[in-house]
Amino acid sequence: MKRGMVFDLRRCIGCNACVVACKQENSLPDGVFFTKTLSEEYGVYPAANRVYIPTLCNHCEDAPCEKVCPSGATYTRDDGIVMVDDALCIGCGTCAVACPYDQRSQMDADNLKDGMYGGGNLTEFEKDGYGRWTPGTVTKCDFCSQRVDVGLEPACVVTCPTDARIFGDLDDPNSAPNKLIRERGGQPALAEKNTKPKVYYVD
Amino acid sequence: MANENQIVGDTFKVGYRFQRYWDTSMAAAFFCCELGAGLFLLSQYFDFALGMLVGLLFAGVGKPYFHLAHMGVPSRAWRAMLRPDRSWISRGLIGIMFFVGAGVAYLLEFQFGFLTGIFGEATGGFFYQVALVISFAAGVLVMAYQGFAMAHSSSFALWNTGLMPISSIAYAVTAGLASILVLGWGALAPETSKMLVNFTLVMLLVDLCVVMSLLHGAFHGTTGGRQSVDLLLKGVYATPFIGLVIAVGIALPALVLWLAGSSYAAVLLAAVSILAGFFTYRVLVFKAALYEPIISFKPRTANI
Repeated sequence: MKRGMVFDLRRCIGCNACVVACKQENSLPDGVFFTKTLSEEYGVYPAANRVYIPTLCNHCEDAPCEKVCPSGATYTRDDGIVMVDDALCIGCGTCAVACPYDQRSQMDADNLKDGMYGGGNLTEFEKDGYGRWTPGTVTKCDFCSQRVDVGLEPACVVTCPTDARIFGDLDDPNSAPNKLIRERGGQPALAEKNTKPKVYYVD
Repeated sequence: MANENQIVGDTFKVGYRFQRYWDTSMAAAFFCCELGAGLFLLSQYFDFALGMLVGLLFAGVGKPYFHLAHMGVPSRAWRAMLRPDRSWISRGLIGIMFFVGAGVAYLLEFQFGFLTGIFGEATGGFFYQVALVISFAAGVLVMAYQGFAMAHSSSFALWNTGLMPISSIAYAVTAGLASILVLGWGALAPETSKMLVNFTLVMLLVDLCVVMSLLHGAFHGTTGGRQSVDLLLKGVYATPFIGLVIAVGIALPALVLWLAGSSYAAVLLAAVSILAGFFTYRVLVFKAALYEPIISFKPRTANI
């Protein structure tokens, strides 16, 4: 099994519901995003257009972040999800500078302590959620492994109102992501980096 | 693309993004490590105990201090040595431990006859030779490994080059030369000091060539590399790069040493300039590193 995702750029409307869902699901503090929907403008008025480019960890088969991690905190599961073991991470940031997609985030101790509204006045949600993070560690998207392990799809996928994010098994030729990649010519991000991402874009 | 040349920071736009994980503290760690190893190895060659001691202090105290200050979870720092099979950070940490351990043993024997005093002439002499070999080999690793760690990152064209470890070694030797000249002035034989001044002049030329080659490679490597070079030569970092790294760090000391290399004041000025330029180089190479835009193709939906 090789879990992966496809972004359908024709469907993404840039609503950022996926971003909010991710932050809620993973209890991410201020400034930390495991997924973003970037925008890019093309052309000039009146022939102008805006395209939305969703991004998250590409869960590369040849993951540069895993290769450089000095503590062994970054590893790849049997199903292809690249994980970070929070208990092993030393927060050196080597994975962050090795990832060509800039998909790593450091858990700032002050942000975890102060909370969204500052002064340490954590909301009940923050009190409940921030406990899963160790201050100073470097983290990233894990395809919501806690959901995937119980048969659910990642939060960003189920939240997307236009079905622009398609999650599935890239080893299965009949899976929804594979069909899309085959039919519409899926391309990975920064293919020239040779990291073999498991996230594709179709347009 | 409409914004293909934009540096977008943390906004939700496609574009170039600054590397922000390795900062000035990490640059100081790199600086201390390379300076310390360079100074120690040169001092070892010239049998100069003070230089060895200062070199070990930079590599064994300064480097860990600044590296721990950078680290998110410093209490777990020991874990950084667990994966020497794949990580240059692990290899470097192990190298530093061997370097400092063997270096201290070598220095103690050299200065106080510590090893022969404990183990006797024959066995102590053997350990002395072992300490010499290990400290030399580990010292070379310590000078170079940070360059390898950076070159290993395919994220930034400015770093992703085999010239990066060469620049680390070149700057380490230059900084070591500048420091040994200052510390050893009067203690080293006059002809040795003269030779070191000439060696420093050669190394400054080597540094200039390596830095220019790094910029050339990055400029012609990727669009992100070109942006990084533009930042260093024409953009926000042009003043410190051209002013401090090139003018103060290379041109000024070369001129001073060439014209007045026999004067201690000139050597002191040159050494301070070299170290200031070297440190600025370390900081700016971190600051000017840019991530490429996340997609390198134009989506067909852009034409709808």
